[in-house]
Amino acid sequence: MSVSDVVKADHLTPGAYGAVGGDPVRIARVTCDVVQVMARKGRAADVAAALLASHEVVLPGPGAAAEGRGMTALWVQPEGWFVVAPRAGDGVLAGALKASCGDAGSVVDQSHGRSVIRISGSRAAWVLAKSCRVDLHPSVFGPGRVASTQLFHLGVTLRQVDAVPSYDLMVFSTFVTSFIEALCQAAEETGYVVA
Amino acid sequence: MIRIDCPSCGGRDEVEFAYRGDATVVRPAGDAGEEAFHDFVYRRANPRGWHVEWWYHQAGCRQFLKVVRHTMTHEVHAVARAGDRVEVPAAEHTGVPAAEHKGVPAA
Repeated sequence: MSVSDVVKADHLTPGAYGAVGGDPVRIARVTCDVVQVMARKGRAADVAAALLASHEVVLPGPGAAAEGRGMTALWVQPEGWFVVAPRAGDGVLAGALKASCGDAGSVVDQSHGRSVIRISGSRAAWVLAKSCRVDLHPSVFGPGRVASTQLFHLGVTLRQVDAVPSYDLMVFSTFVTSFIEALCQAAEETGYVVA
Repeated sequence: MIRIDCPSCGGRDEVEFAYRGDATVVRPAGDAGEEAFHDFVYRRANPRGWHVEWWYHQAGCRQFLKVVRHTMTHEVHAVARAGDRVEVPAAEHTGVPAAEHKGVPAA
């Protein structure tokens, strides 16, 4: 079975693929809302205070993610963050963040524009290393770390979720089919399971 | 391959960046005349040695960075945010006189 049979349009077909007998990685789509929050000029402290009050999150600095109440904030650029939360319906998360930030920040719902793929397993870093230029070794990268970089020539926001390790890979939704195909090809060697 | 030590993201490969030109040119005053603007838009020093350049971190933090790069060896001496000042090593290190690599080309 070829990778294009696994990936139909933009969804994955459950099953076990690739090499057998090894330690397969798990690949799955993560259904979530994604909202971009950017502080207006000179208002970063106001945005931080607002989100601390409304979502109990301490907005992270470069290369880090922080957990809040029902959401995770990812640093993506100076005074700019992605807020990721389990899918709650159109505009729910963005509306709450907009109400929280007021005129201190720009809040843009990117739930339609970004897609998240999770790869996990003991050999997940091995699979990603075939394309990732960021060092994912546990001595320098770990849970709660974030890196905006490229995988398979596509811009991706990479977040390590746990020590398994599991990584959430956020890409532009229009590229997600191509991205999954490339990721599955990279995982042929270890084998991969689509839940 | 050039490694650029982004102030936000850490060391990254050159492929994540886009070269955005000479960071030493200064826009002339509005009434400086046509010739001054011609030089500002078109004329570059093309130095052999240390050079201050704009590099855009398009695959990372999407920030413009000032990079001090040696045009002959590709060695990167310093990386700073767009608004920060950078230190340029003395010209003696490169064997190129300061006037030659910092100044505008002779007419």
